[in-house]
Amino acid sequence: MISTRRGVSRLLLAVCLVLAGCAHYVVNDPLPPVRIAPAYRFNEAEALRNTNSLFVCLVFSGGGTRAAALSYGVLEKLRDTRIVWKGVEKSLLDEVDCISSISGGSFTAAYYGLFRERIFTEFRPRFLDVNVEGALLRRVANPGNWFRLASPYFSRIDLAAEYYHEEIFEEKRFQALADDGRRPFVILNATNLANGERFEFTQEQFDFLVSDLGTYPVARAVAASSAFPFLLSPVSLKNYPHPVTFELPKDYKEGLLDYDANRRRYYWARNRAIYVNDKELPYLHLMDGGLADNIGLRPIESAYRRSSGFIRKLINDGAVEKFVLLIVNARPDGGDTISKDESPPGLSVVAVKTATIAMDNYSVETIEVMKELRDMRVRAQQNIAACRRLLAQCPNPPRVPGLAADIEPYVIEINFEAIPDPERRKYFLRLPTSFALSRDQVDALVRIGPALLDEAPDFKELMESLKNP
Amino acid sequence: MEYLLVTFPRPRRVKVDDEYNGSTGDVIELEAGSHVITLGPPANFKPSEQRIILKNTSELAPREIAFDLDT
Repeated sequence: MISTRRGVSRLLLAVCLVLAGCAHYVVNDPLPPVRIAPAYRFNEAEALRNTNSLFVCLVFSGGGTRAAALSYGVLEKLRDTRIVWKGVEKSLLDEVDCISSISGGSFTAAYYGLFRERIFTEFRPRFLDVNVEGALLRRVANPGNWFRLASPYFSRIDLAAEYYHEEIFEEKRFQALADDGRRPFVILNATNLANGERFEFTQEQFDFLVSDLGTYPVARAVAASSAFPFLLSPVSLKNYPHPVTFELPKDYKEGLLDYDANRRRYYWARNRAIYVNDKELPYLHLMDGGLADNIGLRPIESAYRRSSGFIRKLINDGAVEKFVLLIVNARPDGGDTISKDESPPGLSVVAVKTATIAMDNYSVETIEVMKELRDMRVRAQQNIAACRRLLAQCPNPPRVPGLAADIEPYVIEINFEAIPDPERRKYFLRLPTSFALSRDQVDALVRIGPALLDEAPDFKELMESLKNP
Repeated sequence: MEYLLVTFPRPRRVKVDDEYNGSTGDVIELEAGSHVITLGPPANFKPSEQRIILKNTSELAPREIAFDLDT
């Protein structure tokens, strides 16, 4: 009898170990020897409904369902904003060329990228109004998953990614975005835990891993983007051996020479070039994109600055007339809860503060940098125009070379700080960062986005200029 | 940002670090640092490329580089 029980116990243990051993996260595929399908990159070809001349980028910050709902409300507002551009009537949403997102904002960005107008009927019942945290806890509580979670290669984030994959993103992979080919180009951002560097789910980034983004589930990218430290574990990727023919793109090669001339560019190039060392770095582990930039603005800044950046190339080619950057910032302010205590805060408070203080400070800074770039461009155009006017008064004035085309840049930011009523402002600023908000809270967030946009001075100016092109 | 002006006897697209970025005769806005400049086809120009370090320029005083016809 005893030996039978022991036998059954051993069998059960063996089954458990086998089950646990089998559980493994979804591994990204290597690049195929020959690629036939299109890769997920920015599509430079413009379409009738989406011109280069009116170039619109959206940035969706992190902040759980609070951020997802705020950015969803802004999408509704853009859909309802009718414009006439180059003789074609359309919605402002039709002109959105890129979306860069972090964490909670990545749910909205990915859903819109994959399903377009369907977002306006499906996203609330499928995500915003759902207690996602409860659903994830139920999966964790399911004994069938305990064995899988015992595996060193499968963790809570993989359960979360499975839920997003099955219940929200219809098991779509990046190839679906690449095959569609239309803009906006959606950039989902995470953070490489090893070096704190931003990691974007684009084929350009995956080229450095000799990996194919096309076969990778969109849900796993969203999971990586929103893997908040301490609550969730990292999403892991494989860095495949680089063939002897692998060559860094020239922009990166030149950047690596810029330690003295341009330290920012040097680190940008170096932080991508490290992946070439696949023997030392065969894996990378990604967490919440907010650790590197909780606004999601840095990919846009990079695309604006770099000679290989998709925005820079269009601007230098004179293709852009209006450049609109709309930042949807769901930054909270829970108030100072620690400075009134004589005793120092406990470990959990310190842990959360450590994870978020740098995020918040850095995020404000990136918005200001983008505004400085806008001002620099405007000043350059004004200086050239002023110089030409002055010289025009001289006999036989010399030709003053100019930029390919003048652009009107707009950097529009909406955030809860702009709400005039103090109580109402406090209500939004104190909404928690969670994936389980009430229907009333979601309703309020969806409504406040359009209201804030209507009141944003730069948005008013943009609308005015679109009325009088 | 820094500024570059590329000249060539004929209108031609300019390649910066292997990417098309503007045209000859226009001021091209670029990030500071090392860049490799060349022209789009046909390959009837010399030198075939020029490496520059772009710094301390302005929109009214861009760094100027010239390519010649290679006949």
